[in-house]
Amino acid sequence: MLEIHCPYCGEPRSEEEFSYAGEAHIRRPQDPAKLDDRAWGDYLHFRSNPRGAHRELWFHAAGCRRYLNVLRDTASYHISQTHRVGESPEDV
Amino acid sequence: MPDATTLRGPRRQACLSLRAKPNPSLPAAVATALGVELPTTPCTHHRAGERGLYWLGPDEWLATAPAGAEDALQAALRSALTGHFAVTDVSGAWRSFNLAGPRAIEVLRKSSPCDFHPRAFAPGRCVQTVFAKATALIAGNADGDFDVITRTSYADYLRRWLEVAALEHPASP
Ligand SMILES: [Zn+2]
Repeated sequence: MLEIHCPYCGEPRSEEEFSYAGEAHIRRPQDPAKLDDRAWGDYLHFRSNPRGAHRELWFHAAGCRRYLNVLRDTASYHISQTHRVGESPEDV
Repeated sequence: MPDATTLRGPRRQACLSLRAKPNPSLPAAVATALGVELPTTPCTHHRAGERGLYWLGPDEWLATAPAGAEDALQAALRSALTGHFAVTDVSGAWRSFNLAGPRAIEVLRKSSPCDFHPRAFAPGRCVQTVFAKATALIAGNADGDFDVITRTSYADYLRRWLEVAALEHPASP
């Protein structure tokens, strides 16, 4: 079981309280009508799925009900930082 | 039994949801309207008599008072607050339990992954968390008792859960 530091609650809380919300920082295309099917499909369905550092969105579902950014290593599960949505992640 | 656990509820209270971006005039306006100091530290609550005010998020609070006070408190908040805010009567959505007794903490421990040791859960603290596979807002009070505030639809289930969880140290008849 992971402990995830919620940047809104200001403390580590049990993974049970959170739900995973996928890869973070995926930008919606400015003008979807101008995309071909492949580019729109890439935006909708394809994610980077790295082994190692991964920027993720999590949702503090049973807690403060805010989305947060998490930098997690997908091999070790180590979470090196969390921050509020809208704040800039530090470079890794 | 000296170490009996007392369970009260589910009880209906006046409950108001307050959404507002924190700004310098907000604490004074809320205190004027409710008579309770606004908790700005995450995961804390303040009480004044029968009224409570709970931090739920960086721009969200839950105000509680005895049932029947909802309309007056809503009107007071609406006249005191300025700028962009939302005040909603959510009394029907919430039911409250109270757990008291020296072993109430053990009932909580059976139900939630949170740390309820007095070192970690001092009076004035409140957490929203998973509770017996449901969710609840749990608050520690100055007298050492706990309020468990849950969705109305979970109230029957949680009453039964809490009764069973307290069987080892039940209230005297
Ligand atoms: Zn949180």
